[in-house]
Amino acid sequence: MDNLGYLFAANVFVWGGIFYYLFRIKKKQQSLQNDLDLIKEVVGKGSKNE
Amino acid sequence: MSDEKNQESPILTWLTIVTFLAAMIAIFIFVPTEQTEGAVQRIMYFHIPAAWLAFFSFFIVFLSSILFLWKKEREWDIYALASAEIGVIFCSLVLITGPIWARPIWGAWWVWDARLTSTLILWLIYVSYLMLRHQTDSGSMRARFAAVLGIVGFLDIPFIHFSVLWWRTFHPQPKMISPEGLGQGMDPSMVGTLMVSLGAFMLLYFVLMGQRIQVEKMIDEVERLKKEYLYSR
Repeated sequence: MDNLGYLFAANVFVWGGIFYYLFRIKKKQQSLQNDLDLIKEVVGKGSKNE
Repeated sequence: MSDEKNQESPILTWLTIVTFLAAMIAIFIFVPTEQTEGAVQRIMYFHIPAAWLAFFSFFIVFLSSILFLWKKEREWDIYALASAEIGVIFCSLVLITGPIWARPIWGAWWVWDARLTSTLILWLIYVSYLMLRHQTDSGSMRARFAAVLGIVGFLDIPFIHFSVLWWRTFHPQPKMISPEGLGQGMDPSMVGTLMVSLGAFMLLYFVLMGQRIQVEKMIDEVERLKKEYLYSR
């Protein structure tokens, strides 16, 4: 009655789910940070030209 | 904005990692193997905290949605959205780990009993909530519709809790919160392991909330700067 395969599968889903979600959040943060840096650069250049 | 990005609390992150390590040691080494179910019963130390965390997340959605409708402050809308997303992730883990435990114990992945069905309905409600957030165009209208759905959806949770008491279900009766008292009918080492695991999941909730809130604040900042730039031209 050990069914270690089921215990292993449950662990894979739990840890996989948690790390995948964390990875997605970090990726989104990185992409937004790039957007922010780009906008600030564009705004900075625009105000210099004026 | 980069200052906001540095708002992560390393203490909270490390506390979460240490608590999870303690939970893993308790689950796989300390707690004795359950006599009738065997090793597969250890899935419960993930399944139950994930369920509590999902319910807690949806409770935060419920509270934040009420406060958003009342005060009309974007901050509450952000909390509701972040918590709903985390709740859906953990509700999904409940709906995955439950059938993995059920297959060797019941001989079936899924049965349409009251507890399982009402949990699936809860998941569908909050998936709809997230879809609504991405579909409706108008920002304030979208937030208001979502807040109403976030409040109504929470009403399913008491139903889920009492479903095993009101009807004869396949799902085991609650052992932690039972009419006999907290944790009665469970071995103290099992109660302790469950508590450590629950603590780890709760800490993880706050880590994820912090990160997810930061994403929404960065989106707002990008929008604000874009508008500012366009209007200045």
